Amino acid sequence: MGIHFDYTLQGGYMRKSIISGVVAAIAVAVLPVTMATPSNAYTNFSKCSDLKACGGMDALVKAAQKEGKLNVITLPRDWANYGEAMDLFSKAFGIKITDDNPDGSSAYEIQTVKSAPDSKVPDAVDVGITYGVDNANLFAKYKVATWADIPAQYKDASGRWYGDYNGQIALAYDTSIAKAPKSFADLKDPAFKNMVAIGGDPTGAQEALMSVFAANLASGGTTKNVQAGIDYFKGLKASGNFVPVLANGQNLAAGAYKVSFSWDFNGPGAIASAAKIGKTIKYVIPTDAVIKGTPYIMAIPFNAPHPAAARLWTEFLFSQNKGMLTKDLGSTAGQTGSKIFASIMGGQNIWISGAAHPITEPAMRAKGLAINPPAGFETPASAKLVTPTPDEQTAAKALLKDQWPAIASN
Amino acid sequence: MKEIAVANQSEGTIRRSFSISPRTSPLFPFFIFVGFFLIWPIISLIIRSFKGNEDEWTFANYSPLLHGSYFHAFVVSIKLASITALIGAILGSFFVYAIVNNAGPRVTSVLDSVCAVFANSGGVPLAFMFIAAFGTEGLFTKFLKSIGWDIYAGKFTLFSFTGVVLVYSFFQIPLMILVFKPALQGLRKEWSEASINLGANSTTYWRHVVIPILTPSFLSAFFLLFAGGFSAYATARAMTVGTVPLVPIIIGTLVDGNVISNQTNLGDALAVGMIVVAGVAMSGYLIAQRRANRWRAA
Repeated sequence: MGIHFDYTLQGGYMRKSIISGVVAAIAVAVLPVTMATPSNAYTNFSKCSDLKACGGMDALVKAAQKEGKLNVITLPRDWANYGEAMDLFSKAFGIKITDDNPDGSSAYEIQTVKSAPDSKVPDAVDVGITYGVDNANLFAKYKVATWADIPAQYKDASGRWYGDYNGQIALAYDTSIAKAPKSFADLKDPAFKNMVAIGGDPTGAQEALMSVFAANLASGGTTKNVQAGIDYFKGLKASGNFVPVLANGQNLAAGAYKVSFSWDFNGPGAIASAAKIGKTIKYVIPTDAVIKGTPYIMAIPFNAPHPAAARLWTEFLFSQNKGMLTKDLGSTAGQTGSKIFASIMGGQNIWISGAAHPITEPAMRAKGLAINPPAGFETPASAKLVTPTPDEQTAAKALLKDQWPAIASN
Repeated sequence: MKEIAVANQSEGTIRRSFSISPRTSPLFPFFIFVGFFLIWPIISLIIRSFKGNEDEWTFANYSPLLHGSYFHAFVVSIKLASITALIGAILGSFFVYAIVNNAGPRVTSVLDSVCAVFANSGGVPLAFMFIAAFGTEGLFTKFLKSIGWDIYAGKFTLFSFTGVVLVYSFFQIPLMILVFKPALQGLRKEWSEASINLGANSTTYWRHVVIPILTPSFLSAFFLLFAGGFSAYATARAMTVGTVPLVPIIIGTLVDGNVISNQTNLGDALAVGMIVVAGVAMSGYLIAQRRANRWRAA
């Protein structure tokens, strides 16, 4: 009834606007013709598919600054040092960043791309790889300048999505405990009774799924079959070491657990927030299993409301520059876009400083462009990194769906 | 019986509301609210539960509900809701009996407020409260240990089905007290006096008068508690890591996870399944409630 009322109220206005509607329709019909005409003065930033097509860095920065805003989504500030990345981008280019629902999920990001009003659509998403593969039609084609350094299996050939960084499963522990764990095998020791927790349900949280893969590897399993990993947790439950509580800051503060499995790139943030409540936690890369997760992927929705800023943000995150951080950066007023871009640290190195593993890191190491990871997060030189393929993850999920609930039922 | 009279009157108002009149217009915001936040979501949920990822019509989302882990989740959810509703209903009734017979009006009103607070506690804060109290290093755990009882010595853990039952009881019992107290207060002194005058002893009075009168109210309260326990989500989610497979948690994983993409329609189908179960419980509630009201209005 309310809706009907609204229509009658607006009826008069609608009739008056018919003429302007006709004018608009003609304009829309003429527009593609103008766009098709080759012109240096005009670039369609929603369509340009690499830096050159966007008119070069100076033009891209200029257009992004004109847009003045960037919508990002579900980027926690202490996740892989995203806080520094956002601050630096904002300060260097004078572009205001809005971070919608920092603690949301990949599913939430995709849902927002599909259903948000035009101006609220995120300009870039950072989601689990399956969300990129399954939703490729939602994204614009764009290849960053460092495209060649991204391994082929982690990018869409046409540039709709591409891996950005990955994490490794580390052991995080409260230093108040008697024995410091170094490996998955250590955690079977009775000294860890009622202490070991996992960061979620492995069928719903990537970090927990990878923890099972890591435990599996440490127990002699291969990525093809995670049964040994499930049995590892069953064993820990039987010995009373595994506490099926959700590993998070709150529950750590309450002393509900002491040791958990965690992405290394959550480490610096977690250590800082634990320090605030008087807890000292440490991260260690286990000696008996180093699982490197499949990378998260970056993509620009085709309907991004700030297409130039979206492309600049992506270029920035994939830049391998070593330059300045927010605290060292002075005013950039009056500088050309390419000069600003060259003077600031690129996202790939910012991710390294946040204990994450950017997708182009191997290439950067070869070129001497990578900075060192924070102290304590170095991967042991002897470690053999293993990454489960998406198919292997699907198989693991199917197995876990039936077996995981049973490990703690009573 | 004033409340009943008012309730009946408003029921009449709703029935007449289809003819638009100035008297019903203040209710429009309410209808719009219900339409937007209840009716429309339910309809769109049902539609989506019959759609595939390519927006095609399908029944495929419903077949996983009938066997395997999703079916098992319904079993666990119904079991959890029944057990916690039963614990709440039985213990709650005893408390109500004690309150109605022993507490003065001032104590009763304090208890009402306390129960209202407890009955509405839930979600992450409730889970955290229990973790801080009964977790491995909880205050009560430590206290009990200091007097010689280590609750974690055996198989017990708060983060299990048993633990979730314990935590849910925390809001189920006070909720029972709130919804069941009016029924017990409605027992009139005259009935007991009349039975005794007619030669009944206490047992006969309970068997033939009190229990028949209270049964519908008890059942309706049980169904209400069942529905609450069946749909609770955040508490169990904050406490466990998928180790107590409840339908709402699985729906959360499907529609808001980071691992399984493009299975939101299956989540929608599970949600429709929940609506059906809750619908059955609420029908039981309404039928019992109607019978209870008949008694009270008499």
